Amino acid sequence: MSGPLAGLRVVELCDELGQLAGKLLADMGADVIKVEPPDGSAARTVGPFVKDIPGPNRSLNFWYHNTNKRSVVLDYAHAEADRDHLRRLVATADVVLEGFEPGYLPSLALGYDDLRGLRDGLIMCSITPFGQDGPWAHYRTSDMVSLALGGPMNMNGYDPEDAPGAPPIRGHGDQGYNTASHYAMHGILAALLWRDRTGEGQYIDCSMHEALSCTTEVGMPYWLYNRQNVIRQTGRHAAAHRSEPWMYLARDGRRVLVFGVGRDNASWAKIKEWFQSEGFGLHFNEERFDSPQNRQPARGAPEAREILEEVGRFFAAHDSDYVYRGGQDRGQSWGVVLAPDEALDDPHWHDRGFFVPTTGEGLEGEALMPGAPYLFSATPWELRRPAPRLGEHTSEVLSELAARP
Amino acid sequence: MPPLPLEGIRVCDLTWIIAGPTATRVLADFGAEVIRVEHEQAIDAIRLGRPTVGDHPTLNNSGFFNYFNRNKKSILLNVRHPDGFDILKRLIAASDILVENFSSRVLESWGLDYPQLRDIRPDIIYCSLSGFGHSGRDLDYTTWGPTAQALSGLTLMSGLPGKPPAGWGYSYMDHTAGYYAASAIMMALHHRNRTGEGQHIDLSQVEAGLVLTGPAVLDKTVNGRSWRREGMPPGNRAWQPAVAPHNTYPCAGEDRWVAIAVMNDAEWQALVRAMDDPEWAGDPRFATNDGRLAHQDELDARIETWTTEFTDYEVMELLQAAGVRAGVCQHAGDRFETDPQLRARDWWHSLPHPELGDCDYDGVVPKLSGTPGRLRSASPMLGADTHDVMRDVLDIPDEQFADLQAAGVFM
Repeated sequence: MSGPLAGLRVVELCDELGQLAGKLLADMGADVIKVEPPDGSAARTVGPFVKDIPGPNRSLNFWYHNTNKRSVVLDYAHAEADRDHLRRLVATADVVLEGFEPGYLPSLALGYDDLRGLRDGLIMCSITPFGQDGPWAHYRTSDMVSLALGGPMNMNGYDPEDAPGAPPIRGHGDQGYNTASHYAMHGILAALLWRDRTGEGQYIDCSMHEALSCTTEVGMPYWLYNRQNVIRQTGRHAAAHRSEPWMYLARDGRRVLVFGVGRDNASWAKIKEWFQSEGFGLHFNEERFDSPQNRQPARGAPEAREILEEVGRFFAAHDSDYVYRGGQDRGQSWGVVLAPDEALDDPHWHDRGFFVPTTGEGLEGEALMPGAPYLFSATPWELRRPAPRLGEHTSEVLSELAARP
Repeated sequence: MPPLPLEGIRVCDLTWIIAGPTATRVLADFGAEVIRVEHEQAIDAIRLGRPTVGDHPTLNNSGFFNYFNRNKKSILLNVRHPDGFDILKRLIAASDILVENFSSRVLESWGLDYPQLRDIRPDIIYCSLSGFGHSGRDLDYTTWGPTAQALSGLTLMSGLPGKPPAGWGYSYMDHTAGYYAASAIMMALHHRNRTGEGQHIDLSQVEAGLVLTGPAVLDKTVNGRSWRREGMPPGNRAWQPAVAPHNTYPCAGEDRWVAIAVMNDAEWQALVRAMDDPEWAGDPRFATNDGRLAHQDELDARIETWTTEFTDYEVMELLQAAGVRAGVCQHAGDRFETDPQLRARDWWHSLPHPELGDCDYDGVVPKLSGTPGRLRSASPMLGADTHDVMRDVLDIPDEQFADLQAAGVFM
């Protein structure tokens, strides 16, 4: 094991909420032991499934979020003997990560107060929809419901002319669960650094609602300073006032996202030359386009709107990859609006070894999936094993425990 | 006051805009000494970012900047001046962490690539946060948050079927790349604590976005299905698990919506009871999840006629009391003014700022029982800590400070 967390043991009791945090720890070297009930983590019932055939070992959602973990089945909800196994396992662990409703683990005598005495310096992190207390602590959510309450959804949507009366839109990919896990990571790692210095463990209360509520960028400052709620716009930042479109259709039917055109004079000169060499933007030579302020979108300048209209005409005459690369080569931070799998076709990510092969039940051979979120020079991300089959490591882990004095 | 978990950790912060400052906000919230290195000739554009308070921008009156830069210090340093560059190297030598989110070759062009940084401070943890990373054929390409969201698939995965993508109405990937950078830095610190070894962390914002799309990528590589197909994205209906009803529904008032997610038959029955057992809900087509999925248009239209009779919070309370997952699509204003959960957990904090007055802030998530993060100071005025940092961190005597200042080093 080469990751920065090698030697760290984590006991994970998580379904969809929290399994990403377990993965992030496991992928950097921690020995993450996922303790599952006899019928498996509920995440094993989430599709898509291999060839659309459900089964505890065929969920691609589970495959992705449980890399590098070991799976141990313990019926801790019903069997005292298994609760005892779990306690003995915790006695060997550095971190316990759980995602149950507040009060559930304490009701099984498996709460932090029950477990802390088993292991010096134990860190326990509870990830819940709303935190351990407060009037909503026992309210129920899904990823979408949390994205609604936390605020991200009300930032995403449509201009009225694109979709009259459209609701706030939820970005897919379980980004509410993901954001909760990202913040849980911060808490666990900060606690670990404190333990490095003092040997002290502690309890961490991670609320998905709070994690999302501070992940809405300009939305909250506009309220705090102007008492203004931003308005939703198609494919671009919600804002106090309506701004120019950012997405333009290319000839091949893909959209290209344009976040400014020629913001500085040097890159503007390159764009102008490129467009004009192909017969577009001939009016860009007019002096009024020389001012960066006039070219800046969302400031009401007619030049900004005219430039974007010409961008629309230029894109419609070319394929998305051509305008994307042509723009980037000229200092423009443009991007094609791709489906996630279309990144597999871009050799840049393969240059960096980003996509990695995995396998599992029902798949002959291997399939690629996203790999490291960061490249560490000394202690790299590593895929040691694919997601575990249900209970794959029960006897292995119980034997390890039995072998301990 | 309980101690802070990152007390004594010093960060030389060369970041700007949102992604980098988000990473250092996390570190600062947990007690790290974050020193923003700023330069008047290359100002962080967010210091001018709206919303601002007052009639004209002053570099210190942006509420947007204040939101991302609490708990930090600011020094002015002209790194293009030879003495300024020398001071930067001394600051790096005195820091545990160097973090930047410039384009890929900027630090290298300053003569500060990782091997050179290691010469200055052998166990430095250097985190670079760029669009495409520091290797690969397109390493010179650049991103803003929305670019990274487009290229990673997140933009396309948000929207109504048959419409252009709605995307993300803010730079979700500036937040999230910053979150990954903060985690990476803390993991590298843990490794350094054990071994004394530092390292370079090369983080690409687009890759961090792709990490959030794993099941969608696997559906392509295993099952051959791309999200670029008819009927996708499915709006607020469920992708996986495939359940219904699962959508947003309009409520009384203007642009007020509630999200309702019914995950199984028991929750469906609870919803029906909460709606007072309407006759239509007894239709056998709605009795099973498969039936509800097959008739979602009609199902959603029926539910909508019920939700529009109530306010969004009334629907949420009625359904939550019945055990149904439901939540209001809250604005920032709703969260700050009415959200009883955030209030009950003491989420909001206030700190004085010289130009912005008393400012409200989010709290720190998650809550650590022994060493919780906290708010110590508002965002720094440009260069507010230059003198103190030179004196206290670099031991520069006042007389020498005055000479350097006269030479234009601190601007």
